Amino acid sequence: MTVPSAHLFILAAILFSIGAAGFFLRRNVIVVLMCIELMLNAANLTFLAASRMHSLDVPGGRLDLQGPIFAIFVIVVAAVEAAVGLALVIALYRRKQTVSLDDVVELKD
Amino acid sequence: MANALFYLMAALSVVAAVGVVLLRNPIANVLSLLFSFFCLATIYLLAGFQFLAAAQILVYAGAIMVLFLFVIMLLNLASLPALEDTGLALFARGRSGVTVVVAAALLCLGLAAVVGSPATAAQTLADMPPDGIDAIKGTPGLTEGMAGEMFGRYLLPFEAVSMLLLATAVAVVVLAKRNRPGLEVRAGRDAGSDVS
Repeated sequence: MTVPSAHLFILAAILFSIGAAGFFLRRNVIVVLMCIELMLNAANLTFLAASRMHSLDVPGGRLDLQGPIFAIFVIVVAAVEAAVGLALVIALYRRKQTVSLDDVVELKD
Repeated sequence: MANALFYLMAALSVVAAVGVVLLRNPIANVLSLLFSFFCLATIYLLAGFQFLAAAQILVYAGAIMVLFLFVIMLLNLASLPALEDTGLALFARGRSGVTVVVAAALLCLGLAAVVGSPATAAQTLADMPPDGIDAIKGTPGLTEGMAGEMFGRYLLPFEAVSMLLLATAVAVVVLAKRNRPGLEVRAGRDAGSDVS
């Protein structure tokens, strides 16, 4: 693939803003968690695009490894976040029989 | 050929991401997100990050999405009455204007970063001298180099992540298990929580 790295950055920016819009617009907790996963994926894509860009920068063409390693850490954090978030959803559903954010306003009122 | 595949996958992943936000049925949301992840895995493969593509499919598509589907089916969410307006009606609500502005601002920020980035961002692999391309392509799926870095320079973050995983396992068990009998008095004080 000989696409410029800038196009990867642009794709990541588009995916991140779609995820952010969904995060604010939706009221279903599970869909909100999915939007967070989408944003984390966009961050991953940014790491990899930056790694690719820096690899092209080095004269010898050695692959820059910091991007992929941080992407692995982001994947782990995403898995952890999904597990804790879904456990919270289950606890919430058990107490209130709902998964709508409009019904969880104890800290707001 | 590979370039055309990249643009196709990029377009499909954006469409699938929009589907995650706009579709009503939670299972449709999950499948849309899954499709988006597969498209991204293809892009990782095309960009030369084979190990990340495999991890993306194994961890995201294989584990995290199954977890989401499992919870949705466990709570039988698809059969609940609609929680909210979905589709384009999402944009008819009060605060949606602010949301659109915030998302558009984030998008502009990302695009501005690309415009202001060094000239390397616009450089294509075709611009590289041939030996450079061979050096990059000769990396065997990144795995060997990544293992060396992961257990060398990044050993401390690696250990921190293992502690994070352990803490998560404990936290999830504590959060998801039923209340013990002694705790029900406190839980019962809250309005509307008379669920045993």
